Amino acid sequence: MAEQTAPPDSSGFDIELLLKQARTYLAFGEQLQPLSDRLHETLGQDGDWGEALRQHFDQLKAALAQAADDPGSHADLARLWTVSLDTWQQTAASLGVPATLAPLAGANPAAWQAYQKVQGQYLDLLRQAARDALDLMEQRLGERATAGATVESLRELYNLWVECNEETYGRMLRSPEYGALNGCLLNALLGCYTRGDAPT
Amino acid sequence: MIGPTPAQITEELRNFQARLAEGARTLHGLGPIETGVLPRDPVYQEDKLVLYRYQPRVAEPNPVPLLIVYALVNRPYMMDLQEDRSLIRGLLDAGLDVYLIDWGYPDAGDRHLSLADYVLRYIAHCVDHLRERHQQDSINLLGVCQGGALSLCFTALHPGKVRNLVTMVTPVDFHTPDNVLTHLIRHVDVDLLVDTLGNLPGQLLNFTFLSLSPFRLAGQKYVDLVDILDDVQALQNFLRMEKWIFDSPDQAGEAFRQFAKDFFQQNKLVKGEVVIGGQRVDLRNVTMPVLNVYASQDHLVPPAASKALAGCCGSRDYSELSFKGGHIGIYVSGRAQREVPPAIAAWLLAR
Repeated sequence: MAEQTAPPDSSGFDIELLLKQARTYLAFGEQLQPLSDRLHETLGQDGDWGEALRQHFDQLKAALAQAADDPGSHADLARLWTVSLDTWQQTAASLGVPATLAPLAGANPAAWQAYQKVQGQYLDLLRQAARDALDLMEQRLGERATAGATVESLRELYNLWVECNEETYGRMLRSPEYGALNGCLLNALLGCYTRGDAPT
Repeated sequence: MIGPTPAQITEELRNFQARLAEGARTLHGLGPIETGVLPRDPVYQEDKLVLYRYQPRVAEPNPVPLLIVYALVNRPYMMDLQEDRSLIRGLLDAGLDVYLIDWGYPDAGDRHLSLADYVLRYIAHCVDHLRERHQQDSINLLGVCQGGALSLCFTALHPGKVRNLVTMVTPVDFHTPDNVLTHLIRHVDVDLLVDTLGNLPGQLLNFTFLSLSPFRLAGQKYVDLVDILDDVQALQNFLRMEKWIFDSPDQAGEAFRQFAKDFFQQNKLVKGEVVIGGQRVDLRNVTMPVLNVYASQDHLVPPAASKALAGCCGSRDYSELSFKGGHIGIYVSGRAQREVPPAIAAWLLAR
């Protein structure tokens, strides 16, 4: 009797996973550099540290909104908060449904539209969670400053950013609205197929 | 306060890039990632299923064999991931004779396999094979996660063939408030899913698991990876786990349909309403000794979902073992190696 072996495509590590997130981390660093600059300048001039923090996070939220409107122009930045959507689109692509606005060949146009609509709602929820995460991060940084604690490195900032996103995303994930939308997303994707016509 | 200056951030980014470039070379130089380290022999095969016997590590292993029934999701080499992270090794060292069902990779030809096939044919045939091979009326069964639910079904339908039952991170009540998987599948049209796709693609399951914690599992994890790119052993450990995560077989369509609808959506197991092969699964028939092992920080199978077994099985010798850790840590963490296999083995050997 032969040993069971994995299919050939399941054994190797996809280095693109690493490179994508590395680029995302670099984009995060580039976004945070001006904040560091502004805060150090404000401190040097005895300025309002909290106001500088607030202004920078407003800019981050604006950048996030811009990346949402046109993800292609800020792909690495957009990936900071669309990691879940990326994973979903890769999954859908593996089932033969492209992430683009082009309809799936042979798909019922109404079903395709319905899928695009639900995907848009999904993106809206992610965007809201990302905005909430920026608010939370701003709040946590403010609390640390009040307590006299210092964030020592970019990595520590990144980890805080991840922690805040996981917290707000987790709240969203557990909401009844997300549960319903998650089902709708998959059902709408499946609606684009004729029964039994899915790729194998 | 944000401590690093812009210059320090630039330096940190430069170091990150340098480590990444150097580490990418290390990555390319690594050979294939090995998993499943202990010697084992196939002793029974049916369709894609292979039943393995792990070579005993004591001169006279326990005469009652232990059959591990893994989940249909992901691959069973998690139980024997590497030399120093192997639940099976711990069980063998403690004197048990260990067998494991490898379900293989279902393909389009398996879409009509039902839960009846898995429980009443595959598990039943493996159990009968071991009863005959070891000249025992009944054997010990250890079910893992979904495999635990299947083991409960089998045991309830054939209680005379199971001497002791161990369930590990096994969901019994699928409707506890903290069950996020149920939350996500509740509104899925399972019939549409199976009728459309046939089998459930493993990648869809992967998406579900990654979507529970995407910023950590699909983001931060890879940024942290850069820190260990120069440590070949740590890198191999990471890649071994990574391989397991993405090694996700498709699920046979009909079996998935029933499991998703009856267990997740309608919570029939705990209500005694699951029907397999025309027979109702009544957990009160599970009267043999039961050890229910759960992880106190399990984000996939919440402890309450497992502990519900206490209230619905018929055993008078029911015990629980709470492991301080998560759904995966219970198999691969250092503490798990020290605590879990010895406890399971001691419990079994005492019965």
